[in-house]
Amino acid sequence: MGKKKRGHPDVEELLSRPWCYYCERDFEDLKLLISHQKAKHFKCDRCGKRLNTAGGLSVHMNQVHKENLTSVENALPNRQGLEIEIFGMEGVPDDIIQQHNQRIIQNFYTAQAERQAATGNPPRGLSGGQGPAKKLKYETPEELKKRLAEHRANAAARKAAGTTGAPAAAPPADGQSPAQATPPFSAPQSGYPYPAPGAAPPYPAAPSYPPTAGAFPPGATPLPARPPSGSGAPGAPPYFYNGGAAPSTVDELVANAARQGGPGGDDIDHMIRMAEAGIRPGAGKAGAAEEAGAGGGAGEKRKKGTRMVYGDTEVSPEEKMAMLPRYRWIEETAA
Amino acid sequence: MAPAAQFEAAQPPKDAISALVFAPGPSRRLLASSWDKNVYLYEVANGAEEANLVGTFEHRAPVLDVCFGADENEAFIAGMDHQVKRIDLATGEQTTLGKHTAPVRCVVYSPQHSLLVSASWDSTLQVRSTTDASQPPLTIPLPGKPHALAASPSKVVVAMTARLVHIYDLPTLASALSSSNPQAAPPPQPWQQRESSLKFLTRAVACMPNDAGYSTSSIEGRVAVEWFEDSAESQARKYAFKCHRQAAPEDEGGGDVVYPVNALAFHPLYGTFASGGGDGTVALWDAEAKRRMRQYQKFPESVAALSFSGDGRFLAIAVCPGFETGMEDYSGEGRTKVFIRELGETEAKGKGAK
Repeated sequence: MGKKKRGHPDVEELLSRPWCYYCERDFEDLKLLISHQKAKHFKCDRCGKRLNTAGGLSVHMNQVHKENLTSVENALPNRQGLEIEIFGMEGVPDDIIQQHNQRIIQNFYTAQAERQAATGNPPRGLSGGQGPAKKLKYETPEELKKRLAEHRANAAARKAAGTTGAPAAAPPADGQSPAQATPPFSAPQSGYPYPAPGAAPPYPAAPSYPPTAGAFPPGATPLPARPPSGSGAPGAPPYFYNGGAAPSTVDELVANAARQGGPGGDDIDHMIRMAEAGIRPGAGKAGAAEEAGAGGGAGEKRKKGTRMVYGDTEVSPEEKMAMLPRYRWIEETAA
Repeated sequence: MAPAAQFEAAQPPKDAISALVFAPGPSRRLLASSWDKNVYLYEVANGAEEANLVGTFEHRAPVLDVCFGADENEAFIAGMDHQVKRIDLATGEQTTLGKHTAPVRCVVYSPQHSLLVSASWDSTLQVRSTTDASQPPLTIPLPGKPHALAASPSKVVVAMTARLVHIYDLPTLASALSSSNPQAAPPPQPWQQRESSLKFLTRAVACMPNDAGYSTSSIEGRVAVEWFEDSAESQARKYAFKCHRQAAPEDEGGGDVVYPVNALAFHPLYGTFASGGGDGTVALWDAEAKRRMRQYQKFPESVAALSFSGDGRFLAIAVCPGFETGMEDYSGEGRTKVFIRELGETEAKGKGAK
């Protein structure tokens, strides 16, 4: 996606894209989706025959190869089941559709906020034919001062309330942009299965402000589309589970498969790339040791809970095993 | 996936497997070295989906590595008792070829040059000719403890602690060995010295069968692919990627559980490669297209070693509990298995670079 168009599609466009139940990838049209499913999920690994459904593949495996299909290949861990008959978008359970849509919306708004942060441009549809953005230019200094004061009070109140994140993007003046003020689907909830990247507040942030922080009445929202101030903005690039680009490299595939490569993972990636690029052997070694120390100890905020099952960067598992009484070899047995 | 195309070898080793190799060429023989001090020889039956134990060869200490020699009847082992031994698989005769001063971690045989290279935790490589047993071995000091060793037709790659990687040129080693007085001359220098592309301890090395490059894996769920050629464009082609990770449950704080990538093996014909990790999965990768081709269903324990058969028809997978940080009473007893997967016609064939 996004290959043909230079601009960013709007949320309806994203939501209307057909997507694959098994791997959550989305496609330009249904035909592509079906051919993807046949190639990736319903292909017989014995003879390469492409079936239309998982059930069809199961029957084929049984009859032709006398084998039992137990799971759908290349599927996300909780989507490997054969019980659900999927063909294109048919058969996808409603709750899964809801989840998917919420994820798309979440990604969309996060991406939009990021773009705004990066470019300083107002959201699409606000800069064009619509009035408010232009009108605002004619605000009197008094009005501006008032709004600035409101904004500061608001920020201070929020800070006091312990919310550290900067406003991802203040909502536009109410009623101006129905598409954004009232998204067709509810804002992502906390029980949302895909972790929110950077824990950036979902776009329609205003309603979630604690009432005590309401230094300004709802409706008199300040500064449309003001980019988030640098300090508390989600620093890591947004994590596109599939929303950014179709996975085309091993990296992306793996990242997608891992499904957890949130900002933490990106940070590590970044660090490692930095290390690869610039750090000399000695320094690199020290860095690795530090990293391992952090991995084992308590101070692993950056790693976001990433845990290595084997963390010693100097001594191999074999060397440790060789020291165990069970395997130790002592010279005198040879003498 | 199709479980029926995969079968388990009868009578698996009684303890953890340190190495697993198929014999060269069309042979269907398979050697597994084990921490239970034995080397197991299996043969994949013709036609039937089974692999039977042909023989076991007992050593006096745990065996840390094994490789085939010139044919399917010759094997070399690396022993924890510092010894490098040759085993005649037909007669069972065992000959000690030499000793290091610490456990020998890896052995690798180069059929092209009839050289046996062994790497030991005494931080040396020993190179010996297998055709002339009387010749003293060539000892090359290493800057660190070796952890993995692999040979391509013309190169040997040694991965050591501190992320050091040395690449030796086999013809150079062969000529140094056959020179009149190998002990007096300074040991041959590595053809290339590199720093690992991976930030963590190297776990496995495998060379491309076409002699173009190699891949390495680390304890931190990552695999790197690099090329031998020292030109800027070749070096720009190298890449690394994450794999063998699992999302931790949300109630444990989320994030990833990162497993070591214990095993790498290149397909002898297609140049694709398999990786096996502590998470008990095996994945097939297309090194050219930088894609994962498939991932097999989880095995009950960590994947310790992998090997493709010489004709590329079978993939052998050694499965035993992985050693994890903090383990004090490790034992692979009863949980060690050898799986053999018969590959479909195109199962391991890549699509080529896009």
